Amino acid sequence: MTATANSSRTRPFGPLLRAAQGFQRAMDRFSEWLGIAALYLVPVLVLIGFGNVILRYVGELVGARLTTNEVIEAQWYVYGLIFLFALPYVLKHQINVRVDFWYTKQSLHRRAWIDLIGHFVGLIPFALLGVYISYPAARTSWRARETSPEGGLAYYPIKTLILVVMVILVLQALAEVVKLIIILRGHEELVEIEEHEEPLRIE
Amino acid sequence: MSLEWLAILMFVIFLGLLLAGYTVAFSFAGTAIVFSVLGILLDVFPLANLNLLFNRWFSDGVANFVLVAIPFFVFMGAIFEKSGLAERLLTTIGLLMGSLRGGLALAVVVVGTLLAAATGVVAATVIVMGILSLPVMLRYKYDHRLATGIITASGTLAQLIPPSLVLIVISSQMPNVSVGELFAGALIPGVILAGLYAVYVLIIAQVRPDVAPALPPEARTLHGWALFREALVAVVPSILLILSVLGSIFFGIATPTEAGSVGAIGACLLAAANRGLNWQMIKAAARTTANITGLVLQILLASTFFALVFDRLGGQRLITEWLTDIPGGVWGFIVVANLVVFLLGINLEFLEISFIVLPLFVPAAQLLGIDLIWFSVMMAINLNMAFISPPVGFSLFYLQSVAPPEVRTADIHRGALPFMALQAVALVIVAFFPQTVLWLVEQAGLT
Repeated sequence: MTATANSSRTRPFGPLLRAAQGFQRAMDRFSEWLGIAALYLVPVLVLIGFGNVILRYVGELVGARLTTNEVIEAQWYVYGLIFLFALPYVLKHQINVRVDFWYTKQSLHRRAWIDLIGHFVGLIPFALLGVYISYPAARTSWRARETSPEGGLAYYPIKTLILVVMVILVLQALAEVVKLIIILRGHEELVEIEEHEEPLRIE
Repeated sequence: MSLEWLAILMFVIFLGLLLAGYTVAFSFAGTAIVFSVLGILLDVFPLANLNLLFNRWFSDGVANFVLVAIPFFVFMGAIFEKSGLAERLLTTIGLLMGSLRGGLALAVVVVGTLLAAATGVVAATVIVMGILSLPVMLRYKYDHRLATGIITASGTLAQLIPPSLVLIVISSQMPNVSVGELFAGALIPGVILAGLYAVYVLIIAQVRPDVAPALPPEARTLHGWALFREALVAVVPSILLILSVLGSIFFGIATPTEAGSVGAIGACLLAAANRGLNWQMIKAAARTTANITGLVLQILLASTFFALVFDRLGGQRLITEWLTDIPGGVWGFIVVANLVVFLLGINLEFLEISFIVLPLFVPAAQLLGIDLIWFSVMMAINLNMAFISPPVGFSLFYLQSVAPPEVRTADIHRGALPFMALQAVALVIVAFFPQTVLWLVEQAGLT
């Protein structure tokens, strides 16, 4: 019904693809939430960082140690949460860097092909590798109830989170593949394509 | 030997993927996957190597105190941009200098330098100045090339003048070089570069008054005391914040990370006192910060993998042998390193250069007895050139995205050329006078 047959390339939108699209939309929503979580953690990080500085200097002033390693390490812990949560979001929003002087001149279909091949060669195996290497690391860390060598926070929750994020990354990568397949079947109107009006604002 | 050629092939295939336009991070990842499988099949890459990867991810990426400085300084700069602090700086300094020939362009250099010292992010600076001062310069008949060139060049100072994202990332890849040392090392070269821009503008405004006229009296809305008061309110607090952030690093009062968190809070307070800070601004700044942090780490995770495989296939050893065999010893190496980074910088982004290319130079530089701080600063200046080199320099894209339609892309490209020449001059100065880098490093009592 939504599939308008105005393009000769349009091919039927079968139940399998429809199911895949359901998965893709659910994944997109989930990654969006994670991205929002990352956003709200940024002010938290700033406050923790500032609090650390205050505690350290007031401590030096009154000659007492007011901070603990836990508080100091909370800073990079939150920082770790921010970027781990941001990873699937960044993938979903196509926040990336490309050498694109040739790429941008190609048709939507050819670009989708390049990305599809790239995802199968690069992104998905990489995310799977991430799962493969972080699983034993997380398990060892749990067994040893590993904490930071400076006697600060526990390592095993964040190592577990790396594993979890790698799994999410695999799923989000599959969602990206579904979007590309929908485009390649001629139904690009069903996919939100992120067009960056302005070039990506990193650095 | 056959192994090393595998490493070379790896680099070639990576470049192929990259040129096809696939994302840089996962071009790294894909090449590394293919070659590690190949290495395992040929029995030259033990599977156990992969266990190293997780530890590197954890120690270089997650549990990395240095990189925590990135979100702080990005957030600080984003608050400057989104709260209108940057806008007010630009307007006021423009009014202060407007009566001079070339005054607006000079104001762009001054504000570019100030914003560079408030943030580590080029995009924000170029875009703010492009939106605010480019239309004004065009209205008062500035030459398009000069107007666009001065904006892209001054905005790009943000990646050289501390606190800079580029310097933080480079220091994370250099053994025994702290962020504080790189900040101290890059400050004077950054100021030299800004000075070269200012002198160039003043000279060209005298020689060819038509390209950079003074503001007509009716455009200067504030005079005398009113202007003085506005300058006091709009400019001085920002300068104080910037000086105290950098000063606390150089005098060893705070680590760069601590200074960053104080700077972020300071920027919020300034914004609140200035024209109000609302939740929307904080959210927008936090969005930018989270995205940049995520992107840096995405590329770090992928390029760590690439570097591990490349190293295990003997690529690093091969590169080191080549680099130490270059005729001319130290200077041969310096010239080659600069050429390579410049050429790669035209296409690659500073993150890939810092994570992949610079570490390849390090063993050779150490064998040749080259000071890594000096070397890093030279590379940062070099990347500065790459940022404004047509046709794909990032700063040029940023400006294009906000430039009024009457500004032709070709003018933006040509406008960058004289400033690239000035950057080359700064590079030569720093190359021949390492004291420009090392003096402040020695003076600073870094923690």
